[in-house]
Amino acid sequence: MNRFRWLNPLIVVVTLGAVLSSGVMTQKYGNVLRAGMQTDPVGLDPHVTEATSTRNQLENVYDTLVKFDSKGKIGPALARSWRVSKDAKTWTFVLRSGVKFHNGRTFVASDVVYSINRIKDPSVKSPRAEDFAVVDSITATNNSTVVMKLQKPFAPLLAKLAQSLNVIVAKEAVPTINSKPVGTGPFMFVEYVPSTRMVLKKNPDYWEKDAKGNKLPYLDGITYSYLPDPTARTTALRTGQVDWIEYVPAADVATLRKDASLQIVGGLSSNFRAMYLNVKQKPLDDVRVRQAIAYAIDPQEVVDVALFGTGGVAAKGTTIPAGNFYAYTKSPYGTVNIEKSKALLKEAGLPNGFTLDLKVTSTYDFLRTPAEVIQAQLEKVGIKVNIQAEEWSVYLPNFLKANYMSTVIGSSGLSDPDDYLYNTFNTDSGGKYNNFSDPEIDRLLDQGRLVADQNKRKVIYDQVQARILQLVPMVFLFHSAQYEGLGKNVKGFEHFPNTSYLGFRTTWLEN
Amino acid sequence: MIPFLARRLLLALFALLGVIILVFVMVRLVPGDVVTNLVGIDAHPTPEQLANLRRLFGIDLPIHVQFGKWFGALLTGDLGESLRTNRSIVSDLALRLPVTLELTVLALGIALLIAVPLGVLAAIKRGQTADYLASLFALAGLAAPNFWLAILFILLFSLQFRLLPSGGYVLLNENPLENLRHMVLPALSLGLSLAAATTRITRSSLLEVLNLDYVRTARSKGLSERVVVYRHALKNALIPVVTVIGLQVGTLLGGAIIIEEIFGLPGIGRFALEGINLRDYPVVQGAVLVVAGAFVLVNVLVDVLYALIDPRMRYD
Repeated sequence: MNRFRWLNPLIVVVTLGAVLSSGVMTQKYGNVLRAGMQTDPVGLDPHVTEATSTRNQLENVYDTLVKFDSKGKIGPALARSWRVSKDAKTWTFVLRSGVKFHNGRTFVASDVVYSINRIKDPSVKSPRAEDFAVVDSITATNNSTVVMKLQKPFAPLLAKLAQSLNVIVAKEAVPTINSKPVGTGPFMFVEYVPSTRMVLKKNPDYWEKDAKGNKLPYLDGITYSYLPDPTARTTALRTGQVDWIEYVPAADVATLRKDASLQIVGGLSSNFRAMYLNVKQKPLDDVRVRQAIAYAIDPQEVVDVALFGTGGVAAKGTTIPAGNFYAYTKSPYGTVNIEKSKALLKEAGLPNGFTLDLKVTSTYDFLRTPAEVIQAQLEKVGIKVNIQAEEWSVYLPNFLKANYMSTVIGSSGLSDPDDYLYNTFNTDSGGKYNNFSDPEIDRLLDQGRLVADQNKRKVIYDQVQARILQLVPMVFLFHSAQYEGLGKNVKGFEHFPNTSYLGFRTTWLEN
Repeated sequence: MIPFLARRLLLALFALLGVIILVFVMVRLVPGDVVTNLVGIDAHPTPEQLANLRRLFGIDLPIHVQFGKWFGALLTGDLGESLRTNRSIVSDLALRLPVTLELTVLALGIALLIAVPLGVLAAIKRGQTADYLASLFALAGLAAPNFWLAILFILLFSLQFRLLPSGGYVLLNENPLENLRHMVLPALSLGLSLAAATTRITRSSLLEVLNLDYVRTARSKGLSERVVVYRHALKNALIPVVTVIGLQVGTLLGGAIIIEEIFGLPGIGRFALEGINLRDYPVVQGAVLVVAGAFVLVNVLVDVLYALIDPRMRYD
């Protein structure tokens, strides 16, 4: 389970004092952290939303069965341990005892059964009902044991259970879940005033302890306020109006790093951004044309120009970032090869290039600004790019229906290689979005789901990625970076690459 | 006066109904819906699951059936629930309306406090330095978009001078002073362009009135310039000013959307924007109903005010 090994040096470097000091300095109890957020939660019911904002602001109120650490490794949470049957179809979870919900009731196995079934229930309208479609039955054999029976082996199950919106709720609190969340997490919900603030206070009975055996959390509470404008948000941090902010704009990272009263932490996130090619449209149905495009694109220039150099890391392989255990970086692309690109176009009967429509969304800068760079790069091989920008809610249905010739988009919050690859390239999954279908890739992706052994899985996923690079259903551009800004007095906060603020559990404030 | 008022109110109701129907249809004609937004690109639901979600949200029904349901509930004072957050729209609007009202009233106050004295000064010092300075202010105020002013003020008053917060909101009933501190920059950013427009109107309107016969008569009677301007000319000069301000309230409410977003104020504008971005139909309908209602109401008020200032305006 060392898939995010590559992140270690990065995290040590970027979190500067925060991480280093956690080992050296003594943690201090007390104080309320004032956090400046970009957006409100989209409702307070974690099961019915896919919104990162809801996840981030409630993931410390709730717990999941298992959880990711800052290196992307899955470890115990409400489940103390688990075991998988020989046929990989029965998962048994042994639960932590003595855990209490914020309403005082003791957490038991039937809460897990209820919560997972609630996500699966169509009438709840959870966008993640599919996460557990493979779970045939879930039962509590006693107060501290949960057994999940699967229709077929499904290696990504743990990653789905660790997704911090798939939390364990108290059944009796569900009628008011949208106004008064009750969880088992380190912080208890106090109040939420829309677009104004959310107040959390310390859960004195929280079960988790730090490495030295001290009780967590250190903070007395967290108060979120909402500052949608990036200038207002960074200014609030610089003037001490808040102690911590999310989404430091990439363009400001260099400037803010020079401010001695601040710490900027973060870096590469677990996501990918690519130029999707609709492989059914002419002339993109010809693999040589797609390869020609890939040879003409310089991802590093996209990052340097469109993302100010700090907004992302250029793609080295496919969707999985370089350094990840499952990354495959033997890509023939990445460095521009104009001759090869032109030769491929000529071979495909397009010696004078062609006109390529590139549809992007105007709502997110990091998905729109790469378009102009790509336009300039492809011009060099005779491909004329027509850029068309659409607002997100207009763009999204077009994308889902593959109503475009090419586009720039990607996925976020990915963890398991199955998320990165199956969800993007399987014929019935992400393949629909650009009409990509390859029986060989489908077969390998299905195989990857059945194998639990990491090394055997890697062999399979290497094959998948090599074939993807050969078939070029998309040109891989970059992996977005994400940064959080901290006042000098904020200690112990760790940046998570999967846009998670579980780091608040070990954060404290120096006076 | 009473029949005049009744007629105005009836017309206002029709205008409001028109806006409601238009918005109801328009938000549904725009591509995309809440289900697409909710599910996003990673969930990969089947078409049946998507259809089922649309049915559960009630957005698969014919548009007139949806309108009938919504309008029937509206008559009982129910604006429904947000499709995304399941929160009651009436209670969310009740939280947000006071914020937008406070912002627009403060912006209006700032605009009037600046514009009327400056306009009067420019008119009586016509062609002198004060007049040129006032015109320069008016020109700059009209040219500078309020979102730009907002960022400028944040950098200047929050970051540089550390005088005022750069954003966020404190409830009025919890801490009035802090609330006001959080409102100064938004109100200033919003009010300046109105101040600029009003300065110009006040100046030109006063100049016009000062050239009228009755003012010459007043002067020839030997009245002091002060009495001539303030007692006799200003009241008449303010008639077009009131009209302009009445019409500008709509602009203020529109500008409030951007200002609320930049400063993170929990107003109706930001509420509507979130609703529009995520195709949360009931939220958009509720917010538009309130904003259109306010706009129509202000226009009725302006008409009434008009009739009070100038009896010639009472049409019958």
